Amino acid sequence: MHIVVCAKQIPDPETPPSAFKIDAATNKVIPAAGISPVLSQFDGIAAEAALRLKEAKGGKVTVISLGAESAQAAIKQVLAMGADEGVLLKDAAFDDGDSYTTARTLAEAIKKLGDVDAVFCGRQAADWDMGQVGLLIAEELGWPAAIIAKGVEATDTGLKIQRVLADGFETVEAPLPAVVTVSNEFGEPRYPKLPQIMAAAKKTVTAWGAGDLGLDPGSVGKAGARLQLQKLFIPEKSGRVELIEGDTPQEQASNLIKKLQADKLI
Amino acid sequence: MADSTNRPARPQRLVGAWWGPAVGLSALGFYASATVPGDAPTREIFFNVPDGAWAVYAFLAALVGLLIFGFVRHASLWSIGQPTPGALKEIPSRLKNTVRLGMAQDKVRRDRYAGIMHWCIFSSIVVLTLVTAQVAIEADFPVSFLHGDYYLFFSFYGDLFGVIGLIGVGMALYRRYFAQMHRIRWDERLEDHLIIVGLGLVLLSGFFVEAARIMVTEMNQHPDWARWSFGGFTVAKGIGVFGFEDHQMLAFHAYSWWFHVAMAFGWLALIVFTRLDHMFFAPINAFLLRTDSPGRLTKIENIEEQEVFGVGFIQDFTWKQLFELDACVRCGRCTEVCPANIAGQPLSPMHLIQDLKAHLADVGPAIAQHRHEFSDPGREVSSVALIGDVIKDETLWACRTCGACVQECPVMIEHVPTIVDMRRYLVMSEARIPATAQAALENLEMRGHPWRGTALERTTWMEGLEEVPMFDGSQEYLYWVGCSGSLVERNLPVTKAVFRLVKESGASFGVLGQEETCNGDPARRLGNEYLYQILAQQLVETFKSKNVQKVITNCPHCFNTFKNEYPQFDGNFEVIHHTEFLAGAMQSGKLTAKHPVAANVTYHDSCYLGRINGVYDAPRQILEMVPGTNLTEMQRNLSKGLCCGAGGGNMWQEEVGERRVNHVRSEEAVRTGADQVISNCPFCIQMFEDGVPAVHPEEEGRMRPFDVAELLEKSVFGETAVAGERSS
Ligand SMILES: Cc1cc2nc3c(=O)[nH]c(=O)nc-3n(C[C@H](O)[C@H](O)[C@H](O)COP(=O)(O)OP(=O)(O)OC[C@H]3O[C@@H](n4cnc5c(N)ncnc54)[C@H](O)[C@@H]3O)c2cc1C
Ligand code: SF4
Ligand code: SF4
Repeated sequence: MHIVVCAKQIPDPETPPSAFKIDAATNKVIPAAGISPVLSQFDGIAAEAALRLKEAKGGKVTVISLGAESAQAAIKQVLAMGADEGVLLKDAAFDDGDSYTTARTLAEAIKKLGDVDAVFCGRQAADWDMGQVGLLIAEELGWPAAIIAKGVEATDTGLKIQRVLADGFETVEAPLPAVVTVSNEFGEPRYPKLPQIMAAAKKTVTAWGAGDLGLDPGSVGKAGARLQLQKLFIPEKSGRVELIEGDTPQEQASNLIKKLQADKLI
Repeated sequence: MADSTNRPARPQRLVGAWWGPAVGLSALGFYASATVPGDAPTREIFFNVPDGAWAVYAFLAALVGLLIFGFVRHASLWSIGQPTPGALKEIPSRLKNTVRLGMAQDKVRRDRYAGIMHWCIFSSIVVLTLVTAQVAIEADFPVSFLHGDYYLFFSFYGDLFGVIGLIGVGMALYRRYFAQMHRIRWDERLEDHLIIVGLGLVLLSGFFVEAARIMVTEMNQHPDWARWSFGGFTVAKGIGVFGFEDHQMLAFHAYSWWFHVAMAFGWLALIVFTRLDHMFFAPINAFLLRTDSPGRLTKIENIEEQEVFGVGFIQDFTWKQLFELDACVRCGRCTEVCPANIAGQPLSPMHLIQDLKAHLADVGPAIAQHRHEFSDPGREVSSVALIGDVIKDETLWACRTCGACVQECPVMIEHVPTIVDMRRYLVMSEARIPATAQAALENLEMRGHPWRGTALERTTWMEGLEEVPMFDGSQEYLYWVGCSGSLVERNLPVTKAVFRLVKESGASFGVLGQEETCNGDPARRLGNEYLYQILAQQLVETFKSKNVQKVITNCPHCFNTFKNEYPQFDGNFEVIHHTEFLAGAMQSGKLTAKHPVAANVTYHDSCYLGRINGVYDAPRQILEMVPGTNLTEMQRNLSKGLCCGAGGGNMWQEEVGERRVNHVRSEEAVRTGADQVISNCPFCIQMFEDGVPAVHPEEEGRMRPFDVAELLEKSVFGETAVAGERSS
């Protein structure tokens, strides 16, 4: 089985709030000095899911990232976990796209790879949290998609996927090829073994641009985006403290309940 | 105040080696013999045992044969190990260790009772062996000296050391069978009884042989000679009460002689089969003991070209590491001081060493035999995995690398490198790591610091301080703040305090701010040597490019790795811990502790400043110089201090076991009745912040942890000034 993992490199979600700055004029995040971008957390988990399937059933795992040169690091990280090949989709034309153009570009790359049986994405990228790309890839490829998976196993005919629901989980089956987006309930990504880190360091990552994928530069990146960013801002935080009156803890508790009910919070 | 500190005496080395005089006495004897006239006192060798001579030599030959056999058998096991770089370098300091630690037994004496007991037995064996050797020379060499005054003197000291030996045996018997001495029974075996009872019998029977001989020879003819053999003489007097006939005594003499000789050789043969082999292995291990700092872990050279990382199979240890397994005497000293063991966690360094030793004995012979047959040197000769089966993962993770075990081990075993080598295998080859430790390692990789989820920046601590100078190579010192000092809320006041004090002292210094990255210590201690090397190399480059010469560190872990480990990466800097710098500044009058700080404090030695780097005085000197501050030591202090629990990467692990180490240590601190526990390490302070409330739930009157610098800051600037500064 050939599984593609889509891995995105994102600004470090653990950037200290004081270092997180926005350029209001261009509506962009200013990269924080000295803080390197990281692999989106859910994509590490998607890679883990893919690798476990590979271990169970054989086959290979290819990791694809759309992004800047720095996204090499994200690709290497997944290679070190045990993926076999890496592809970086890099082109000035891809810049400033949206979920749709990202998915389209990724889908084109998946088609170019040819023999892909499944695509594993994270449930959402941990920066914009759109949760769109996986589904849109499925749409582009015309494949079934199962999102927010907490378990994936191979059956004779396809995949059996446990999906997280608000009140439990459901099990669905999908024929191959299919797209799966993986959630944190799946478990932690593995820690890479050193021999694999070294092997990954030596691997060359294939780089494809718009031309390689046969994509018209006008249909991808900013030019092709369907979503327009209106305003990017850091919400103002303010706190207000109200002390609940009452002579005994019991009285305070019942006053608190009254208050919460009055505010329609419970 | 200075005069009221109840500072305990340092463990002091006793003057000289006690066994020295015994050797001196023998030498004197040889000299004296030359001057003694012919008809002087003497005795007949092999009196009454005409076959004695050949028997003794037959026994001796058998013993030597056994010893050689034993040694070869051991050596074939050690030889499956890897090369031990530098084992034969720096011979003078190694010889010094052999004498000081191996023969004078400095470490044995860290337990006073055991020290006396062991010296009694040891000196008795040495002297009585010399006595026997002299008898042999007298009998079988063309020299004669056992007569005259020297013979009398010889009789005297032979008996004296026989009695001393018996005293030692008595102390050992008492300790093993009557005293509440647990550690020596944690792994008690049949051989332990054989050794001690056997030695007692050898010594006692010796006195009986002597007594019988005295009764039939000297007692009547030369009672004045006999008295010199005061032990035998006393026994003879005792037996004399029964009024045996001479021929009965002669028979008794013959039987007891044979018994004595057989026992003595039998006992010596135990060397081959029991822990008595420490007679040889301990001094050799003292010779093999590292000559560099115990704070330094071995560097894996050319790590990128290696195929084996750390130790996953017994033959991956160096031969020195295998050798020292055989030196262990199961005394339990290491386990007794091990913080993990004290807290009921799944680690006992003694059992770890013994388990490795047993595993070596199990699989070693097969590996030694097949070594030449397989291209992969018999890696998996056993289905029992070294790590996971023989040594459990959680055992390896529970170690704090605190060095207490290494410090106490009387046979100079170095547990810490052995444990870390196995961790290296777990992390680098197997990627089997507790989740929280893994998160710390990943964070180090991704963010250059181990503090996952911190909301602080490396420059946050500078807020509210006027003008923090950046290091640009022109200043004398680099003040290295470290990850904890800048990214952990609790440690910020310490960083500020050190900064203000260094500034006040007038020193020229600067900081790196955003350019600081982790020096890698947590990665190395957690077993990720690869990550450590990357981080260390990076930082050495940064230091060099900035022309750093002298570094003041906030944290003993930074201190240790800069000082002891960076030279492995060609990074040679003068490294000073802030307590050393501040104590120096106070002594030279550059800082004055003017304002009294009324506080009853106790002081906690962090492992990496204290035990591992020997800095005990500087912080205590500061405490002494602060007016109004009164120091009460904890029971475990100085080199016997107990780890706070955070070392060896345990800062980032969930503890498994009965208790948490920081609760145990906090309890010890609380027990002093002090209202502040003072330390010198960001980890210790965090551990106390967490541990003290756990063992002292009421908030009122609860002890509070501070760094030495925080206390000194109050004294130098005045408490109100400091408080004002904080709230601004
Ligand atoms: C408001 C806004 C502003 C933007 N600003 C910028 C900007 O300043 N700079 C810029 O470069 N881009 C920018 N983008 C584009 C953004 O990077 C894309 O939206 C992104 O590639 C898809 O992220 P998502 O949050 O929609 O992904 P999601 O749909 O949440 O991602 C789900 C999964 O899809 C896969 N995936 C998503 N993106 C990629 C990828 N790039 N490569 C491989 N797999 C991927 C991952 O498996 C991921 O877990 C912006 C987008 C928006 C909506
Ligand atoms: S270094 Fe400390 S924690 Fe580790 S085994 Fe030795 S005494 Fe125990
Ligand atoms: S390792 Fe050392 S201290 Fe520990 S039991 Fe063995 S000899 Fe004693």
